[in-house]
Amino acid sequence: MSKTYFDETHCAIGHPKSTFMQWMLTIDHKRIGLMYAAVMFTFFFIAVATAMAMRIELFAPGAQIMDGDTFNQAFTLHGVIMVFLFIIPGIPAIFGNIVMPLMIGAKDVSFPRLNWFTFWLYIFGCIIAVSSLWVGNGFADTGWTFYAPYSLNTGTNVIMTLVAAFVLGMASILTGLNFLVTIHRLRAPGMGFFKMPLFVWGIYATAWIQLLATPVVGITLVLAIMEKYFGIGIFDPSKGGDPVLFQHLFWIYSHPAVYLMILPAFGIMSEIIPVFSRREIFGYRTIALSSASIAGIGYIVWGHHLYTSGMADIAKVVFSFLTFFVAVPTGIKFYDWIATMYKGKIILSTPMLWALGTIVTFAIGGLTGVTIAMVGVDIHLQDTYYTVAHFHYAILGGVVFLLFAGMHYWFPLVTGKMYSETKAKIAFWMNFIGFNVLWFPMFIAGYYGMPRRYFDYLPEFEVYHQISFVGAVIFISGLLYMFYVLIQAWRKGEDAGLNPWNATTLEWHMPTSPPPLENHSKVPYVDFDPYEYENGKAKVEFDLETMKRID
Amino acid sequence: MGHEYVPEIAVDREGQEHKVQGWQDDLYGAKLGFWLFMFTEVLMFGAMFMALTYYFTLHHDDFLIASSSLNRVLGGTNTVVLLFSALTMGLGLLKMRHGDVKGAKLMIWATILLALVFLGIKAVEWTAEYHHGVFLGLDALQAGNEHSKPFGQILFFGMYFTMTGIHGFHIIIGIGIMLWLLKRINAGKVTPKHHILHFNIALYWDLVHLIWVFVFPYYYMIGAGLTGGAH
Amino acid sequence: MANTTKTYKEEQAGYFKVLAGLLLLTALTFIQPTMFMESATFTVQMLIGTVKAWLILMYYMHLKGEKLIITFTYFSLFIVLVFFVIVIGVDVANIQFAELNHITSGDTAHAVSETHGAAHAEPAHH
Repeated sequence: MSKTYFDETHCAIGHPKSTFMQWMLTIDHKRIGLMYAAVMFTFFFIAVATAMAMRIELFAPGAQIMDGDTFNQAFTLHGVIMVFLFIIPGIPAIFGNIVMPLMIGAKDVSFPRLNWFTFWLYIFGCIIAVSSLWVGNGFADTGWTFYAPYSLNTGTNVIMTLVAAFVLGMASILTGLNFLVTIHRLRAPGMGFFKMPLFVWGIYATAWIQLLATPVVGITLVLAIMEKYFGIGIFDPSKGGDPVLFQHLFWIYSHPAVYLMILPAFGIMSEIIPVFSRREIFGYRTIALSSASIAGIGYIVWGHHLYTSGMADIAKVVFSFLTFFVAVPTGIKFYDWIATMYKGKIILSTPMLWALGTIVTFAIGGLTGVTIAMVGVDIHLQDTYYTVAHFHYAILGGVVFLLFAGMHYWFPLVTGKMYSETKAKIAFWMNFIGFNVLWFPMFIAGYYGMPRRYFDYLPEFEVYHQISFVGAVIFISGLLYMFYVLIQAWRKGEDAGLNPWNATTLEWHMPTSPPPLENHSKVPYVDFDPYEYENGKAKVEFDLETMKRID
Repeated sequence: MGHEYVPEIAVDREGQEHKVQGWQDDLYGAKLGFWLFMFTEVLMFGAMFMALTYYFTLHHDDFLIASSSLNRVLGGTNTVVLLFSALTMGLGLLKMRHGDVKGAKLMIWATILLALVFLGIKAVEWTAEYHHGVFLGLDALQAGNEHSKPFGQILFFGMYFTMTGIHGFHIIIGIGIMLWLLKRINAGKVTPKHHILHFNIALYWDLVHLIWVFVFPYYYMIGAGLTGGAH
Repeated sequence: MANTTKTYKEEQAGYFKVLAGLLLLTALTFIQPTMFMESATFTVQMLIGTVKAWLILMYYMHLKGEKLIITFTYFSLFIVLVFFVIVIGVDVANIQFAELNHITSGDTAHAVSETHGAAHAEPAHH
């Protein structure tokens, strides 16, 4: 039996004998990615539970199980966990770590010890965030956006949450830095930028955003802490400070942050579609360059979150104009994916189902975003359930669905096992149907004026909340069932073999399943494109011990 | 450790050999990584400068008045001190590169000394301001009392203490990592042949100096024309 | 590394030349507000700062010999920052309802209680 990365590992300090310490001190990118996944999904379910509590509360007008102040803390907790602890580390922390080095033929990332440090920095940030639940006046109640001046005046634990977000931001920056240097330096010989798989392009564009946007929110949070603690005045109107400046600074990061979330997800889509259409991807270069342009244009559109803040009218028009442009590269990607499927031999395995489902849900999410990019429309729909439905369709129906797609796609690679196809498909449909029943009515409710973050509402909105509640029950059952299926497969599933999907990219050409500690037996010379198929068969074949081509 | 690393060779279909760049012993990668980290620092301070410019535009005259009240003698001395510390750091790196480890260590100590002088002068400045009633938390910088300064001046001093404070914090960290560098040199881990750590720390110190190059004129000099020179 | 083609003496001389330049520019910083271009003090000070920064980056930080990727990133970063300043500048320069706006109408914190009542009387609504 050859050894896999579960049997042996490199450590940051010393050579520990116990399995536990080997996991705690591991610098192996594959193990670090798995640990991120374990922690992140734990927090994901805590935030889902919080959301369920909110849905129960909102089932009918008036107070059901909590009062208004607690409700404010609930949506803040949900937002902070989902955004800072789950979706921003997100796909880069899990699949960027596990799969990206394998895809470029590297033995690890450029700075493995920094990677180890970054993971524990992330854990430290999580601990600070969660501790604020039990310390002092309880969790912050400002919303995850911490707008001044309320965040300055409230007595709840805003400072702790800001510190946590800062630490988590540092972890994000260091991950981005690590990946940038890795992709620049450790690609296999012969792999130029335009021979990289598109997932690596996605991670690359994301790493630039992680590096260049996060510091801005980092310092904004520091300034907010200084304001709350020392009263320096920059966001406090009573001293001449401008709360709109906080919004500017906050969204200069937080808008690129959503592109940070979606770009790796689009990368996963670009991986799955060719494999399950048995065709080369259509428009490789345009997809690659569109990732870069989304990252670039995404920096200059933040003002569309400030249309109702009191920003100057000229600025609103400029931002609206620029925001329409950022939809174009995404549209290009969609057309390229659909063109890839045209005349391909479509195989509807679970990863493909998730990818196709995402095409539907993200299209809705993206297009509704374009509607509220219009200033006139946004004046009415800002801070209503329409906006809430938009970003959940985009983030949950886009990023998280593709994360799930990636989980099903790379499951055999990471674990060496295969899940039950039937059960996984049932889980997908439960999720997809539940998701749409939960979120679609909110578009309508928002259009008719249901405000977001409201604990109570007029009776005319009750029906929408009730339909959403039913959707929530189905969706959460689907989530739990999906994780059950995957965990059972890991524990008791059948062996998957080496390349069950017959994919072409380098991460599937491993000598063992799961991969060994040192990844490829030998680094191959890359003189082929990442998605070469001929008549539905993968063109490039390797002798896995010498990594020489035998086609 | 990394120094004995032997790179792998990949062979292509024509039989030509290609060296594989591993994560160990990657000099360019280490430099690239550190430059990228410094960009994040530039963005952090850049965002603060942006906030400062925002309020400078809104409260132009008050900013000039507040600026003129700062001590240009002490601030200017600090500028020159930091300038010389950048020189000593650079000379230290130069000596290390040419094999003079003893001289390199001496230069690092000189840099640490100058950094401490900088912090000392800053402490004197801040103490003087405190005694003038201008400090975070004191009446002059709070709203609605009889000592309250005008909006623009409150904002100026709020950002002044924040930015010089964060800058000073980076100097303290710099002293810390320079002491750590000396330890690594003594342990033989940083040598004339492998001194990327020294190089990166010199870059860090230059960055700290670079930030002061903008902090100093923005806070101390914009109002210098009002009172006609140094206090 | 990049500069091993020069001798020790040459490199050391280079460092001192840059130091001289930086000291000169610092002196310039001091005399400018009272000697020349007083009306544009802010712009001149920032320009002098930029020249100093360029010297430090090119020579002390050895950016002159480095591969393009680092220089490219530095300049694109500069452009990003300039963009942020321009857009926020557009917002600030066109601040609406400046007379009713509390932070631009009342010039002192003393005036908080007086102008507060007036500003609240008319909500800034289109």
